Amino acid sequence: MVNNGIVIQTRGLNKRFDTVHAVRDLNLEVRSGSIFGFLGPNGAGKTTTVRILSGLMKQTSGGATVCGYDISTERDKIKAVTGLLPESPGLYSKLSAVEFLEFIGALNGRNGSALNRRIDIMLGMLGLEGRQNDLLESYSSGMKQKVLVASTLLSEPKLVFLDEPTSRLDPAASALVKDLILVLAQETETSFFICSHQTSFVEDVCDVVGILNDGALVTHGSPQDIIETTKAKDLEDAYLKIVGGHVDKKALLAWR
Amino acid sequence: MVRTWLAIAKAEFQVLSSSMRRNRKLYVGILYALAFVWAIVLTPMIFNAVLGAIFPMEVLRPMLMVIFPGLMRTVGLFLWLILLLFPLSMALQEIKIGQWEIFLSNNVRTKDIMAGTFIGKMGLYGLIIIFLAPLLISPFMLAFEVSIIGQLLVYGVVTMLAMGTIWLSNFLTSVIQARLGDSSRGNDIAKALAMVVAIVVIIPMYGLMFFLPTLSELMGLNAFLVLPSTWFADLISWLAITFNGIGLSASQILGFSTVLQLNMAVTSVLTVGFVLGTVGLALGAADRVFTIEAGVRTEVVTTVGKENIILRGVRRLNSGPFGSLMVTNFKDFLRKAQNLSKIGYGLILAIIMPVIMMSLDIEYMQFKDLFMMLIVMMSLIGAMPFAGTGFLESKDQLWIIQGAPSGASRYVKSRIASQALIGIPLAVIPSVVIYFMIEMTTFEFVLLLGLGYAAVIGGMLTATGVTARNPNYEDTKSPAHQANIMTSVLLAEFSIMGVMFADIFLTIGTGIDFFGFMVNIFGPGNMMIGVSAIGLVVQWAIAGLLVWSGIRYLSRPEA
Repeated sequence: MVNNGIVIQTRGLNKRFDTVHAVRDLNLEVRSGSIFGFLGPNGAGKTTTVRILSGLMKQTSGGATVCGYDISTERDKIKAVTGLLPESPGLYSKLSAVEFLEFIGALNGRNGSALNRRIDIMLGMLGLEGRQNDLLESYSSGMKQKVLVASTLLSEPKLVFLDEPTSRLDPAASALVKDLILVLAQETETSFFICSHQTSFVEDVCDVVGILNDGALVTHGSPQDIIETTKAKDLEDAYLKIVGGHVDKKALLAWR
Repeated sequence: MVRTWLAIAKAEFQVLSSSMRRNRKLYVGILYALAFVWAIVLTPMIFNAVLGAIFPMEVLRPMLMVIFPGLMRTVGLFLWLILLLFPLSMALQEIKIGQWEIFLSNNVRTKDIMAGTFIGKMGLYGLIIIFLAPLLISPFMLAFEVSIIGQLLVYGVVTMLAMGTIWLSNFLTSVIQARLGDSSRGNDIAKALAMVVAIVVIIPMYGLMFFLPTLSELMGLNAFLVLPSTWFADLISWLAITFNGIGLSASQILGFSTVLQLNMAVTSVLTVGFVLGTVGLALGAADRVFTIEAGVRTEVVTTVGKENIILRGVRRLNSGPFGSLMVTNFKDFLRKAQNLSKIGYGLILAIIMPVIMMSLDIEYMQFKDLFMMLIVMMSLIGAMPFAGTGFLESKDQLWIIQGAPSGASRYVKSRIASQALIGIPLAVIPSVVIYFMIEMTTFEFVLLLGLGYAAVIGGMLTATGVTARNPNYEDTKSPAHQANIMTSVLLAEFSIMGVMFADIFLTIGTGIDFFGFMVNIFGPGNMMIGVSAIGLVVQWAIAGLLVWSGIRYLSRPEA
């Protein structure tokens, strides 16, 4: 399933939407068991890349393998071994958390008492045990995010795509998700591909980081290497040096 | 000083006319010019020509005069309900509490919000009035040969009716929206209410179409004097009588005043009072209406209980993941108020139609003749609840489903299986009602139930296939939603009726007697049953193709 310890390998991957070149000649390798952080400004092409790699979107040109399967011809096989946490929650408002997770389990061909036990444990771990039978329409956005995290991990995927996993979570829940990712990567060899704007989260969790700007991969390496190469204080500073975004005080008040 | 109501009105108008935003001024100008030509020139001309060709005015006039006050009240009630409920139904499709937060945080007065949202809507609804009012009023203007001044006054009353009613509708919409709040549950209830509101409009519409004399007689009763629409209608009647050009005699005018009960002065006071009263009420209550409430999300938390016997039965019959998916689909569909309201809407339509057909007293109306219409109605009931919304809530939900191997295919198939079970009462309820109404034999009942269920399923499959090919998610205001509803209903109905038309054209075109051929197969007197059965085969074939292509569409990665 995994190709020489490589879980994701892209070769000149491109995606165009009419005049917009969302992903440009992306050549990337992610090693099995690693936690890869994908950083970039809004509209840089991170979500598009994740959708292509998880088999939800066709690339315009180029190719890739995910867990050894070709993204053009073996999409169902990719879906069977990966999990995806989408950027915005697409939950069923009229189902409870338990019912929604049962639905996700059934879509992946699982049901029965083993699945129910797993759902109970996951919801308990994420602190939702008291609300697990309430309809999702009454959940806050952070609670919905937790349910989505549970749904992504439910089928024990070998590779997990997380698109902004902690953007709606409070600090305690963010720390919990961070620990969960680290434990799963260490103990079960699960690989993670995480898109995020939160540089501190990426710096803490990821062992390899890629920075995408205007569709192209501009930097690739460990957080420490990137910080040292750019002579920055931390990953946020390095990110701003690479992508741009430092604005002087005068410019901030120019609109007045 | 910035007039905030004007800014709100402008934004409201821009939203309503967003489909023509590239050349908004030009298109709106053209539409208004067309509307005035329609109202002032075309409608009177068309009515004159059509009525003259079918019923000469000398024949029609006495009839119109006899039913005039009652008929005007019916027309008034219809117009009033449309003006009151149509904007309400439209607004309930999309709760806009979020915009109130922006207004209130910018220190806009609540009175300005009320006035701005009202004036913004007037552009569109004014256009509807200009198109609709002449259609309903022209025959009377022609029959009474009302003078130009009289006509202008009548249109003035119609304008007052329109503005007063839309103002009231705007106020009621704000009250309902404030109570529901901007939440998933609030939106669901609002959409369900929008459907209920549509049913309320449909009933007087059918009344106008099929029971005009009875309804006019009924509306002549004093009990209807309490309806504001009656005051407006009576004022129009008085204006037509006062400014008539046919020389009504004193005894005729006395006859009208006996039916109308209240004289012109009292009626005028009531209409003006109604308009001023609603304006005063809305402005006075504006501060209480525009309050941001917690909304239903935080006020009501629904906790699910144990599964009922039907869901447990489904799990027992299919203990695998497919059974679990079916159960989830059941819960998702039947817990949404808007879906239940759509089912109710379909059932009411199915029951109203045979009632109307029976009441028309057509001599040849027997089960066998009614059969095809009943089957077509059943396919409508099957298509309605499952077309457009209720399939997928959002694109993100589709991503989640597509994220599972063959997820879209499993999802659609399990959805169809659970919808087929929901379709059982949709076939049984109208069949039983019709059984008692028509006094059919047991065999005929079984035939209606069997083929009726096939029609419900055919309609459901058509709607599912169409919606899967063009998912509009929860957006009931989108063109995609309207297209899905129309395509599903028309395809479900015309795939059955099309067989009859095809037979007619083939018989005329080829000279081969296809109807005779049908009679040979299904027996004499059963031709309509035969045509319906073949129609169902065609409907299922089309629906099957649509579902297949729908699954393929949902399964394929986005380009």
